Amino acid sequence: MEDMLLKQARALYKDRLRIALAAFIVVFSITFYLFYNPEIVSIGAIPPSGVIPSGWTQGFAVVASVNTIGFCLSITLILLIFGFWSWAFLPGPALTYTLAILKGILGTDTTIRHSFGKKIRVTLENGLQFDVNCRIKDKGSEEWFVYRLVSTQLHCDQLRNIALRHGFGVKNDRLVANISNNELHHRTFLLTKAMMLVSISI
Amino acid sequence: MTSVYELVQLMSSLNDTRRAILLALAHIYPRSVSGVQLSRLIGYSGKSRSLYRGVISHLKENELIQIDQLTPKLYAIRINSEHPLLSVLVDLCRTNGESARIIYLKALEDE
Repeated sequence: MEDMLLKQARALYKDRLRIALAAFIVVFSITFYLFYNPEIVSIGAIPPSGVIPSGWTQGFAVVASVNTIGFCLSITLILLIFGFWSWAFLPGPALTYTLAILKGILGTDTTIRHSFGKKIRVTLENGLQFDVNCRIKDKGSEEWFVYRLVSTQLHCDQLRNIALRHGFGVKNDRLVANISNNELHHRTFLLTKAMMLVSISI
Repeated sequence: MTSVYELVQLMSSLNDTRRAILLALAHIYPRSVSGVQLSRLIGYSGKSRSLYRGVISHLKENELIQIDQLTPKLYAIRINSEHPLLSVLVDLCRTNGESARIIYLKALEDE
């Protein structure tokens, strides 16, 4: 059973992708028009006439021109903007879901900071921190809204034992786990408990 | 008793698919299964490749299961019996889960 908010978030994300694609086609056409309608400014790298037919030379002059460089640059810019957009923004309902669960389980004394991107940083009462990274769609498993929990570096002899006993792995002295969205509540809880135990045994 | 308590907590923190995998593997221990067998054993509806790349690799990262690569395409998946909590689960299944084990093994034989 999938959460309503996540269902909404998924639909919203798909809709936005469609809108982005439609906008891309329009912007692509306009850019194409803007760059190739004015006079073609050649960069001068034209093969000597006689070697290849003159029609080819003319085509080559259009391709190897300042216009093409400008066109490619603007398309790259558009793709970069799209990349930034999809990196930085989690659909609203998904963010609401995540924050609601984290606040619910961790209480009001815990600082939950979300500034930008898909990362949420949680600072526990004992000063230890962990990050909750959300991915909209996992490429490998094709699951929607999966999370990766990563704690800060913890130095403790018992770390591995504590980690395993709470279902976490250890990587570079950090507790890590990839979890699905319906595990977020329980596993954040266990991570908090594990980190409490670590802070006691330091 | 602490371990049993922690085991219950761990199992309830996992989602349906992961819980089903661990329970099935604990019952058939020390046997190992391939990815396709496992996806059939737990009634997974998706592709076994997505099961492998998502759930199974994450379970391995948390050292809950072990994977031996037999050939480039064939993997043997079994429960990590050295895990402090899953060793308890394996013991529990061995002492109490005889009839469940029969069902699991029968499911594995039907091929």
